[in-house]
Amino acid sequence: MASQVTVFVENKPGRISRIARILGDEGINIRAITISDMGEYGLINIISNDPEGAAEALSNDGFSVSRKYVIAIIMEDRPGGLADITEYLHSNGINLSNAYGFILQQRDRAVLILEVDDYERAEGLIRKGGFHTLTMEELHNL
Amino acid sequence: MDERYWNRALETMPRSDLESLQLSRINSALARAAHEKHYRKRLPDRLESLEDVITLPFTKKQDLRNGFPDGFLSVPLEDIVRLHSSSGTTGRATVVYHTRGDIDNWSELVARSMYMTGVRKGDVFQNMMGYGLFTGGLGLHYGSEKLGSLTIPASSGNSKRQIKLMQDFGTTAIHITPSYALHLYTIFEEEGIDPRQDLKLRIAFLGAEPYTEETRKKIESLYGMRAFNSYGLSEMNGPGVAFECEEQNGMHLWEDSYLLEIIDPATGEVLEDGHEGELVLTTLQREGMPIIRYRTGDIATVYTGTCPCGRTHRRISRIKGRSDDMLIIKGVNIYPMQVEKVLMGIPEIGHNYLIEIENVEYLDTMRIKVEVVQEIFHGNIGELERLKRRIVEELKNEILIRPQVILVEPNSLPKSEGKAVRVVDHREKR
Repeated sequence: MASQVTVFVENKPGRISRIARILGDEGINIRAITISDMGEYGLINIISNDPEGAAEALSNDGFSVSRKYVIAIIMEDRPGGLADITEYLHSNGINLSNAYGFILQQRDRAVLILEVDDYERAEGLIRKGGFHTLTMEELHNL
Repeated sequence: MDERYWNRALETMPRSDLESLQLSRINSALARAAHEKHYRKRLPDRLESLEDVITLPFTKKQDLRNGFPDGFLSVPLEDIVRLHSSSGTTGRATVVYHTRGDIDNWSELVARSMYMTGVRKGDVFQNMMGYGLFTGGLGLHYGSEKLGSLTIPASSGNSKRQIKLMQDFGTTAIHITPSYALHLYTIFEEEGIDPRQDLKLRIAFLGAEPYTEETRKKIESLYGMRAFNSYGLSEMNGPGVAFECEEQNGMHLWEDSYLLEIIDPATGEVLEDGHEGELVLTTLQREGMPIIRYRTGDIATVYTGTCPCGRTHRRISRIKGRSDDMLIIKGVNIYPMQVEKVLMGIPEIGHNYLIEIENVEYLDTMRIKVEVVQEIFHGNIGELERLKRRIVEELKNEILIRPQVILVEPNSLPKSEGKAVRVVDHREKR
C-alpha cells in the first residue's frame, strides 16, 4: 500500500501553485497529481516522496488534508495493461473510486495508482492475480 | 352591480358609522376571544369606546408559537374547515384556523380588493403565487372565484409554462412577486415575446416582498399593465388586508375587518396618523381564531386625508421595513433563527458558516457557505456531496426555499461574533 495526500481546495485561482510552492519549499518531490473537480471546489490528490511531511506542511498552512491508502501497481507500459488489472478487480467485486497513472520512461514501465473501496481485500487479490504492487518506500523512492 | 365599488355601502361608509361598526365588531371579537386559551381572563367583556383599545394586551408572534397548536382556537375544532400553518421542522410553527364563515369573509375582502383595481367578471386571472400552505395562493384564488373572473391556479415558478398559459388563455390579470415579474421578463426576452404587444395583460397585483416605486413603474412599463401594491399576512388571513385603488397612492386597509393602529415599536405607544411605526391589527370578523392587537412587525405610515376614489378606509404606505430581523426571500418570510437552528442540528457544520442573500437575475438566492474543516474532511467527495445535500434538504424543509450550499476552505469565513446569526444581505433595494 502507498499513501496519497488529498487536499480540499476552492475553485479559486492559485490554489495549485500555492500547494506546489509549499511542498517545493519543504523539499518534497511530487510524483503524481490529479484533481477531482466538483465545480466550486475540488480535491487535489498528490503522490509524493514524503506524504507525512506533505500532509503536515499543507495542514500547517491552513488546508484541510486527508491521507488515504492507495494501491500502487507497477506494470509493463503496454496496451491492455490497465484493462487487465481493472477487469480482474471488477470480476472480484472490487470498486475503484479513482485511478491515475504515470510512466517511468527509463524502464518502460508504468505505475498505476488505484483508490479502492476495500484495501485489504484488493491488496490480497492483486498479489494473488500476479500483479506487482509497490510498497510505500518503493513508490517514494522511484 | 355597482360599476365602481364591489360594496359601495361598506367601502364609502362615513367615518363615524365605520367606527361604530368597528366598536360593535370588536366587542363581538372580545366575546369570541374569551374562549381562546391564550386570552382567557386577560380581556375585558366589552369596550365602551374605541379609545379603550389601548387597554387590551398586544399579541406577538412568539405568543402564537407558544400557543401552538390550539392556544388561540376559539371554536370547536370540528367547526374549522381550513388551516394555514407556517413552516417549521425545528422550533414551533404557527397556525391560523378558519371557519367556513372566515373563508367567506376573507374571500369577500379579496374580491372587493380585486374589483377595486379594475378586475371584472370577464377577466382571466392567473395566480402566480405559491399555493399549498402559502396564503397568497388560496387567498387570491377564492377571492377571484367569488368575483367571477376565470381563475388559473398557476402557482409560482415554471416560467415557460406561465407564459404558455398567458398565451393560451389570454390572461388579463396576474398576482406575482415583483422579483418574479422582473425575472419573468428576461424569459420573455429570450423567447422573443413582447408582453405589451403579444399578450393581454392589464393588471398585476404585486406583493409578498418589499419593492420601490421605481420598480413598480418599471414593471408597468415592461408589461404595459397597471401594477397595484397589496399587503397581507397570514395571521390576518393572508392577502386582502390592504390594497391600492385606481389612484395607486397608498393601500386602503379594510377597516370593517381590521382595527388599525400604529405604535412605536420600542415603547408600544400608539401614534397618530402620519407617523411611521409598527402596524398593529385586530381581527374584527374572524370566528375561528380572533387575534387581538397583533404586532405585525411591519413598519409603515397611515396616510392622513381622504382619497379621491371615495373610499373612507384609511390608506397605509408601502411597508418600510421590519421591527425585527425577519427576512423576505423570494416572497417567503424567513427568520435567521430558523436557519441557525437547522444548521446547528448538523454537527459537521459547527460554527463555521455564513449565510448570504443575493439577487441573481432579479431572483433572491440564499447561499450558505460552510467551511470544510479538518475534522470533517476525509478526502471523500461522496461524503462532502452528501453533506451538501443534507443541508439543502433540511433547510428547504424548514424555510421552504432551496438554498445553495457552497463548501469553502477552512478559515476563509469571517469569525462569528457572539450569538448573532451571521446573515449578509447583499441585495440592493429593489
